[in-house]
Amino acid sequence: MSENRAFFRETVERILADTLDQNAIEATEHRTLPAALYAALAENGVTQMLVPEAAGGIGADLGDAVAILRAIGAAAAPGPLLETMLGNKLLAEAGLGPAEGLIALAFANDDATVLHDIPWGGLADHLLIVSPTGLRLTSTADWTATPGLDAADEPRDDMSNGPSGIAAPFDTSAALRSAAILRAGQILGAVEWTLARSIDYAGERKQFGREISKFQVIQQMLAELAGHMLASAVLTEAAAESVSQTMIAAARSRLGDAADAAIAIGHQVHGAMGFSREYALNHRTRRLMAWRDDYGSVLEWRRALAGAFTGCTREQFWPAVSDAGLKSA
Amino acid sequence: MSATALHLDLPELPESAEVLRRQVRAFIAGERAAGHLPPPERIGLGFDVATTKRIAAKGWVGLTWPKQYGGGERTALERYVVTEELLAAALPVGAHWVADRQSGPVLLKFGSDAQKQFYLPKIAAGDCYFCIGMSEPESGSDLASLKARAEKIEGGWRINGRKIWTTNAHRVHYMIALVRTSTVEGSRHGGLSQLIVDLTTPGVSISPIISMAGEHDFNEVLMEDVFVPDDALIGQEGNGWNQVSAELAYERSGPERWLSSFRLVSELIDVLGPDARSSSLGELGRLLSHLLALRQLSMSVASMIQRGLSPNLEAAIVKDLGTKFEQEAVRVVRNIVSAEDLTVQGRNVRLKGLLAHAQVYSPAFTIRGGTNEILRGIIARGIGLR
Repeated sequence: MSENRAFFRETVERILADTLDQNAIEATEHRTLPAALYAALAENGVTQMLVPEAAGGIGADLGDAVAILRAIGAAAAPGPLLETMLGNKLLAEAGLGPAEGLIALAFANDDATVLHDIPWGGLADHLLIVSPTGLRLTSTADWTATPGLDAADEPRDDMSNGPSGIAAPFDTSAALRSAAILRAGQILGAVEWTLARSIDYAGERKQFGREISKFQVIQQMLAELAGHMLASAVLTEAAAESVSQTMIAAARSRLGDAADAAIAIGHQVHGAMGFSREYALNHRTRRLMAWRDDYGSVLEWRRALAGAFTGCTREQFWPAVSDAGLKSA
Repeated sequence: MSATALHLDLPELPESAEVLRRQVRAFIAGERAAGHLPPPERIGLGFDVATTKRIAAKGWVGLTWPKQYGGGERTALERYVVTEELLAAALPVGAHWVADRQSGPVLLKFGSDAQKQFYLPKIAAGDCYFCIGMSEPESGSDLASLKARAEKIEGGWRINGRKIWTTNAHRVHYMIALVRTSTVEGSRHGGLSQLIVDLTTPGVSISPIISMAGEHDFNEVLMEDVFVPDDALIGQEGNGWNQVSAELAYERSGPERWLSSFRLVSELIDVLGPDARSSSLGELGRLLSHLLALRQLSMSVASMIQRGLSPNLEAAIVKDLGTKFEQEAVRVVRNIVSAEDLTVQGRNVRLKGLLAHAQVYSPAFTIRGGTNEILRGIIARGIGLR
């Protein structure tokens, strides 16, 4: 594990505390990015942190980026930070320079004329296309963006009439794995926030003359959610360290259950209060709804995980389980 | 504590643990080759003295204990590796399991030097087995309400009371009984003590309880004016509750909480082969993600134990999640068996039998060693709700 991880995380948490409030989160629903947040993230090198030092970045690893994206997910911080961090890393690996500004990512086939549901597509400066043949950097100004929204009302735009071009050869499956594990960090952060806020809320909210945290049924529900959180946290951290296909598939599958539980239990504990736009819970739970199937859906990751073990004999199965995560696939 | 304190560090297995793992796998291969280890047809630890003696001969019972007591002075993570390998391969380890997992460690932590000298080398040699004397007919989840009592008499204690669900009492040597030895005003937890009871002592009668799975593992142990000498007391008189809490962390956090039904999943994977329906893969993948999470959690808890911590909260989470996984495994295997027609027309008899047994066994998963509701109460306290 990187020695700098705690420092990275504290830096980003300080930036979030200084630059992000509920108004900035809600402004995203009107297609406005939190400019102060992104200026501070760029100034502190966060957007270039996955770029090797030789190429002008910080040379942090995916585990460091996951730690930061947990804080970003917990804060429901809007904007294409994942895409910009990863995009710059991919560009550096392909021998192309890092890009100035914000990057939107599209995993698409070479012959696609319309790129559907691209997160932050119309708001980013660049559209980086990862296709089976490689990597292609374009300017979003050269595309027509048709606005769309995800469950959190964040932009998912259809990009059309873009420029054609030749892709730089690239390991695109590794890029998808990286995107999947980085999104896992954001999902985990939103689950962690939901658990912590629900525990606090149960201690604040009084019904029948006492805090609802005194009721066993509430305690049992939150204990269940705590288990989901811890189980998906250990897998997400293990996946970020190993970057193995199997562990990433396990983490994203387990997070699918944790997201379901966070949405159901978080809202049930909050009762009607949590259902208002004004209360901060929906900023996390709607993002969980939007994120859980990104860069491979929960079901796709489950099938991929099962596929890593089917075909084993009964004697081979345990060694395959115990070796999972020890080496990169 | 709050939710933010709920964090486990990633475990790093030292190279020595991987060397040990290869040695255990070689041993297991030898057991298979010698015909000692047919593919399992039932769920449960199994009880086989000969297997226990062969494992002990390798030095894998009491692995972490000091060498002066017959132990191997290895780490908790190394012990973890040995236990998961033995359980995953379905070795019948039931004879020494309780003594190795909790009775020995309790003696090591709280016992006198004479007790350590007497019991631990025998346990490590695979010659001395224990059972747990906690539950009573009227004291299940509410353990502190127990009524068994020991009265101080000249040279020892006189015990009267009834213990229940004592696994293997009919085939092990000793029981550590949790009994009331004094009354502490206003405290249900005070005045409890742990006494070692030789199960051949006059006044001890053991009667079988047949489980709904049709097996005789459980017993009721009646103690009528049973005399145990002064040196049967473990630790301090009246400190029994604290000692039992430590013991339960060992009991709850181990991989046996999610590896009992592993043999059923192994059998399914074997029979299923490489070509499964996508709906089966989706269900199986979800199950496997829970399995991999439990393994990470267990290794993290083992590394906490290695650092001298008492992971009571984390152990409760592992057991809550682990036992739910075990029941889920039965459901998923049943669904896939049905979707893929795996056991129709006499096919795959072993899988069919294992599934049938696991199904009848499965209600016990979320009850034994502390019900999930009690565990969630412990978790709720740990995250600041109580």
